[in-house]
Amino acid sequence: MGQLLIGLRRNRKALVGLAIVLLIVLVAVAAPLLTEYNPAGRTGRPHQPPSAEHILGTTRLGQDVWARLIYGAQTSLAVGFAAGLLITVVGTTLGIIAGYRGGKTDEVISFLTNMVLVVPNLPLLLVIASFVGQAGPMVIALILGLTSWAWGARVTRAETLSVKQRDFVKAAEMMGEPQWRIMAFEIFPNVFSIVGINFIGSVIFAVITEATLEFLGLGDPNVISWGTMLYNAQKASALSVGAWWDILAPCLALALLGIGLSLLNFAVDEIANPRLRTGGRLARWSSLIRSGEGRL
Amino acid sequence: MLFLLRRILFYLAAFIAAATINFFLPRLMPGDPVALMFSSAGSELPPESLEALKLTFGFVDGPLWEQYLTYLSSIFTGDLGVSVKYFPLPVTDLLGRALLWTVGLVGTATLISFALGSFLGMVAAWRRGSRLDVVVSVSAIFATSIPAVVTSLVALFVFGFTLGWFPTGYAHDPALDPSFSLAFFASVAHHAILPLVTLCFVLTGGFTVTMRNNMINLLGQDYVVMARAKGLSDRRVMVWYAARNALLPTVSSLAIALGTVLGGSLVTEVVFNYPGLGNTLYQAILARDYPVIQGQLLVMTAAMLVSNFLVDVSYVLLDPRLKGSG
Amino acid sequence: MSDALLSVRNLTIDYIGAETDFRAVDDVSFDVAPGEVFGLAGESGCGKSTIAFAVSRLHGPPALIRKGSEIRLAGRDVLGLDKRALADFRWREVAMVFQSAMNSLNPVLRIEEQFYDVLRTHTGCTRKEARDRTAEMLTLVDIRPERMRDYPHQFSGGMRQRIVIAICMALDPKLVVMDEPTTALDVVVQREILQRIDELRRQRGFSVLFITHDLGLMVQFCDRIGVMLSGRMVEQGPSEAIFRTPRHDYTKRLWASFPSLKGGVLG
Ligand SMILES: Nc1ncnc2c1ncn2[C@@H]1O[C@H](COP(=O)(O)OP(=O)(O)OP(=O)(O)O)[C@@H](O)[C@H]1O
Ligand SMILES: [Mg+2]
Repeated sequence: MGQLLIGLRRNRKALVGLAIVLLIVLVAVAAPLLTEYNPAGRTGRPHQPPSAEHILGTTRLGQDVWARLIYGAQTSLAVGFAAGLLITVVGTTLGIIAGYRGGKTDEVISFLTNMVLVVPNLPLLLVIASFVGQAGPMVIALILGLTSWAWGARVTRAETLSVKQRDFVKAAEMMGEPQWRIMAFEIFPNVFSIVGINFIGSVIFAVITEATLEFLGLGDPNVISWGTMLYNAQKASALSVGAWWDILAPCLALALLGIGLSLLNFAVDEIANPRLRTGGRLARWSSLIRSGEGRL
Repeated sequence: MLFLLRRILFYLAAFIAAATINFFLPRLMPGDPVALMFSSAGSELPPESLEALKLTFGFVDGPLWEQYLTYLSSIFTGDLGVSVKYFPLPVTDLLGRALLWTVGLVGTATLISFALGSFLGMVAAWRRGSRLDVVVSVSAIFATSIPAVVTSLVALFVFGFTLGWFPTGYAHDPALDPSFSLAFFASVAHHAILPLVTLCFVLTGGFTVTMRNNMINLLGQDYVVMARAKGLSDRRVMVWYAARNALLPTVSSLAIALGTVLGGSLVTEVVFNYPGLGNTLYQAILARDYPVIQGQLLVMTAAMLVSNFLVDVSYVLLDPRLKGSG
Repeated sequence: MSDALLSVRNLTIDYIGAETDFRAVDDVSFDVAPGEVFGLAGESGCGKSTIAFAVSRLHGPPALIRKGSEIRLAGRDVLGLDKRALADFRWREVAMVFQSAMNSLNPVLRIEEQFYDVLRTHTGCTRKEARDRTAEMLTLVDIRPERMRDYPHQFSGGMRQRIVIAICMALDPKLVVMDEPTTALDVVVQREILQRIDELRRQRGFSVLFITHDLGLMVQFCDRIGVMLSGRMVEQGPSEAIFRTPRHDYTKRLWASFPSLKGGVLG
């Protein structure tokens, strides 16, 4: 775990990714300081292009796009992290239990996991969400958490299987430690990088999927989030009437958050799997070759 | 062969699981499930049609398991009910028509992006650390981390509305009737390009990253080193020793990726107003046309299972270790 | 010295790190005469495989062969070969058997194919000619030629290793590098394979650079032995001498750690 943090500090992708995510978090938290407008209220004439008054223009209802964007960030981040956490908790728990216990337990969990993996996720979410009606952000987070854990469970299980063979686990078993203690204190810390990758990946997935569900009209349109911004802009035919700012603002915000999180994810992957690393040593190697210090 | 047989049984179970979700969802919601499912915005069904619909969805007088069996038997006889919005159009007809466009779009996009992504991943891994590798892997990360809805909207804005290179909706020129004419096919192709390229953009990155990682993990294998020691050309080693083996896990990740593909295509179709499943579903969601929404899950699941089966078959063909064994 | 087949001089190899380098091979020199079996002994991690890889120039980043190193094979400067010459040199001059018997063959190609690609690359022969040659080579290692249509997973570990040896013979190389060729196999199979290699060597006259952990095998099988300790070659000489009158402290300890050898295996 400590190694992971040290590695992250040295990795350029991780730093850039972290900077992007932190920036968005900061803007979301400081939203009331960054705009004077009420994100839900009518603050100008409809569909005004960006100007000094409304830096990202207004929606068809005359709401300020910038205000909606930064308040919307709160929702998107909250759903993303809540659902990401839920997905990771469920997936990690099932994965470790299946991998460690083996036998019948493993068979049942693996069967369930594979089943969830072959039922297409978005169509399933659509059906569930459509019955829920207009789902608020936290309901969406809950649905995501309960339907999207399978990938994490599968990779955690695979990793657990290899950790299980290691000596310190065998030693703990010899000492008669209870199973839950072994899983929590011997296995879990050693599959931590997989859990990290799973978490960040799940946050990305949750942010994207929440926006998608809302865009498709399954969210609560009165909630302010990037997804409902897209939904309202699409319903107002923003692109065909030339109000590009209405649609591009949430688009770029989603893209930026996605890129930031993915950079982080990629960095964790590189640190956990040294073979994928390219970084400093390779640069040094190339410069030595170029200066004629040696060859292959 | 036993392997494939086991897979088929598993897919059957998965399909029944999806149907089970359909069955229980309305019954778990508060209120009267019949009223919830069939009384969508404004439209009033004739009583005898409502009776038929209730039968299809298992709302019969009797214990739960009898209702469940009734529902399953209507699904397996291909009866998915009728659309409430487009009454009396059967759901199968409505979805079947849309499915054709979706399969065309998704199938083409998947094949293109799988081939392209595997190729890029292979080359990037082979020249790991080079500028090419950095460019390829960083763009792959960016491409995968941008939601399909964002990519589609931006592509529509730039190439459809601003530059005007491509049409902004429909699968073909509405003035042309479907026929085996050159003009019709040209129109279909022209309309498909933007959604297709968008989908490929969304999908290629994932395949690139998977292939690159698998390949890098394989490059240290003894048989790859031995191939180099044999003095074979770089291309032969890269393709037939490294990539050919790295393709196996990549193909099995393809099966999982298909879910994302279907999801991505739903969104892309809505944005480009393309007459596939996504768009049909979008209209159904707006009208809360539950028979269609539920039917969509079954059709998508079936499509996913069939594709998974094709992936299984190609896996068996690609890996001699599975052929003829057990 | 000029009559040596393989001549390694001042070979120094580093693994480049982000800040500091790891010197895996440090100023190593030795010769292998034509037809001779030269053994490299030493504990795990002392740099034996790193030398073996360097002989066929198989290293990739982060390995770096330092300037001043020299490897000659039959008079040719191996480190100076360009890409084309190197591709031609590999396998035709130096063939190699790798550490793990299980993983040296490509699991998705038929055995036949794995002979054919090496034969076609180096001799430009037709598929028919390649098949004949493959049959001939497989017979050498007691594998029925019909089985060339099979895939690697259809053979046992020992058979797979014999197939690799047969592929090594395909071009009649001057030197065969064997990096722990029998580690993954059981004792009986080990012995069989080494005997077979020895016969082939007598018939065909190639030299062997032999690497193993098993000192018993080493003393039996090698004409001369070099002993390595963390990247350095601390002692080399005829097997008899190294075994009976070791000079370096480390060599003595190495022998002492193998009690079974005291009885005189050579006799
Ligand atoms: N890619 C690498 N990067 C960094 N260090 C490496 C790399 N490959 C090998 N080394 C180091 O170089 C040293 C020599 O490795 P080598 O594989 O030559 O040992 P060996 O003598 O063959 O050991 P064994 O008998 O276990 O096979 C080892 O200490 C190893 O840690
Ligand atoms: Mg070694």
